[in-house]
Amino acid sequence: MIQVENVTKKYGQRVAVDHLDFLVNKGEILGFLGPNGAGKSTTMNIITGYLSATEGSVKLDGHDILEEPEVVKRQIGYMPELPPVYVEMTVHDYLSFVSDIKGVPRSRRRENMDNAMERTRTTDVSGRLIKNLSKGYKQRVGLAQALIGTPPVLILDEPTIGLDPQQIIEIRNLIRELGKEHTIILSSHILPEVQAVCTRVLIINKGKIVASDTPENLSRGLVGDNRLTLRIAGPERDVLALIRGVNDVVKAEAVGSREPDTVDIVVEAGRESDIRRPLFHALARAGYPILMMKTMDLTLEDIFLNLITEEKEVS
Amino acid sequence: MLAVFRRELRAYFTSPIGFTFVGFFILLAGVFFAISNLLSGNPNYTGVLGSITFIFLFVVPILTMRLISEETRQKTDQLLITSPLSITGIVLGKYLAAVGVFLITLVITVVYPIIMSFFALGGLGWWEILGGYVGFFLLGSSFISVGLFFSSLTDNQLIAAVETFAALLLIWILDFIAQSVPSDAISGLVFLALLALALVALVFFSTRSNAAAVLTFVASAIVLVLLFILDRQFYEGLIARILNWFSLLKRYNDFSMGVLGLAPIVYYISFSGAFVFLTVRMIERRRWI
Repeated sequence: MIQVENVTKKYGQRVAVDHLDFLVNKGEILGFLGPNGAGKSTTMNIITGYLSATEGSVKLDGHDILEEPEVVKRQIGYMPELPPVYVEMTVHDYLSFVSDIKGVPRSRRRENMDNAMERTRTTDVSGRLIKNLSKGYKQRVGLAQALIGTPPVLILDEPTIGLDPQQIIEIRNLIRELGKEHTIILSSHILPEVQAVCTRVLIINKGKIVASDTPENLSRGLVGDNRLTLRIAGPERDVLALIRGVNDVVKAEAVGSREPDTVDIVVEAGRESDIRRPLFHALARAGYPILMMKTMDLTLEDIFLNLITEEKEVS
Repeated sequence: MLAVFRRELRAYFTSPIGFTFVGFFILLAGVFFAISNLLSGNPNYTGVLGSITFIFLFVVPILTMRLISEETRQKTDQLLITSPLSITGIVLGKYLAAVGVFLITLVITVVYPIIMSFFALGGLGWWEILGGYVGFFLLGSSFISVGLFFSSLTDNQLIAAVETFAALLLIWILDFIAQSVPSDAISGLVFLALLALALVALVFFSTRSNAAAVLTFVASAIVLVLLFILDRQFYEGLIARILNWFSLLKRYNDFSMGVLGLAPIVYYISFSGAFVFLTVRMIERRRWI
């Protein structure tokens, strides 16, 4: 449906997006994952026609965004990183202005706006000035704006940023629901978010695609049980020595003490081995109770490090 | 375009800017009207319009400063540019909204000649007043287009306002400058040569091609020198002529006397059109860098 071919964007000498190439199929929820400054927003701005690519082309159903901008822009609802709201307008007036510029026919306008407000739960605040709304509500108004005109493609830049946990869950559910009728591209720098919502993930770093796969496949290869955090009641030196003696332990490090008379330790093991049982037995035998044991969540940084180092090994 | 126009016009009157513009304008016009018409018993209203044109210097920057800069700052330009509207439509909508506020103000000031008509014994020259208003409106609209352009250069309202003020001031004193620039043929040649160099630089920076720049340079040098040999008269007083060509105020004088000529009307509309076009190009250009 959306075809991004060889897209490059340079700001002067700095390359923000570097020969990006990918397809988005109808009905997909595609997630852009990457650290800040990876080129996610720039890519989205190019797809929506806000910026022009230095090289390459973006096509939607075969229509080029530069050659037939009006045809393409009609098909896309865009929610930029900062909700593009006029703060001195009320939510209702703002959405009716958006309906105006998107050319929603008068007969369908009312129904369309009601639907957008209902889905984003902004009906209650429709009469209020946007400048008086909280950040979360502004974000929702931004989302409602993207839904106006029911475009087949939705592009959402960091849709959950600045929301409280309850709202994040709501928005994620909403996106999943919208995914049934729309093709969606969303960006995020939070791994679980992308995992929770997307059917496919593109990991972008320094303007390049580092990986592209389903979230399950990506995390299977990357998140292992090989790093543990332990909290153990006992003297640091003895405990460390004991743990280092356990089979398959590659590294053990004390990372401080959070409770009196305990020590927190990060243990790293060989890739394919599960050391939880041997650790338990060894520490139980020595009489040092384990107060906490958890696998370390791989952070996005870890995944990047993994992917980037793997790349280097290949080349 | 209509949607942008409507929103913009409403925004003027839901913020203090529209009222500041209208209020300040009517106040100053009223003071001048009271002093030169009412208190001195003089029925020459177009003269008042002519003498209050300086208000534009102060109120036009207020009117235009946030037109585009505020969209850039609040990132609402992302909404407009990614909507199916054309950039020309967006810019025209905004320009016409600012002109609309100005027009509303002018309509209010019609009260002044109406007041006067109660006292004028021989009746007022309504056609003359209408002519004066047309010119006044066109002059103001031209200044607004300058303000619109400067608003597209920055995301800071204050900078846009100061730049607009500086540009309008320059246009203002163009007549004085034109009177005192050297008028001999050599200075004319030097002036044109500088303009030609600017053209060469423009060609070079927009095409990045040495050949095109050299070609432009050689061609303009030949034309300039040939002209100098064949028609020396052409260069005499040339600088003043060029400056006068850009003088918005000179063309207003006709209107001020109640003369409605086609040429100045076309001139003002083209002037505004040129600046609206430049604004559109400016916004287009931002997408590429």
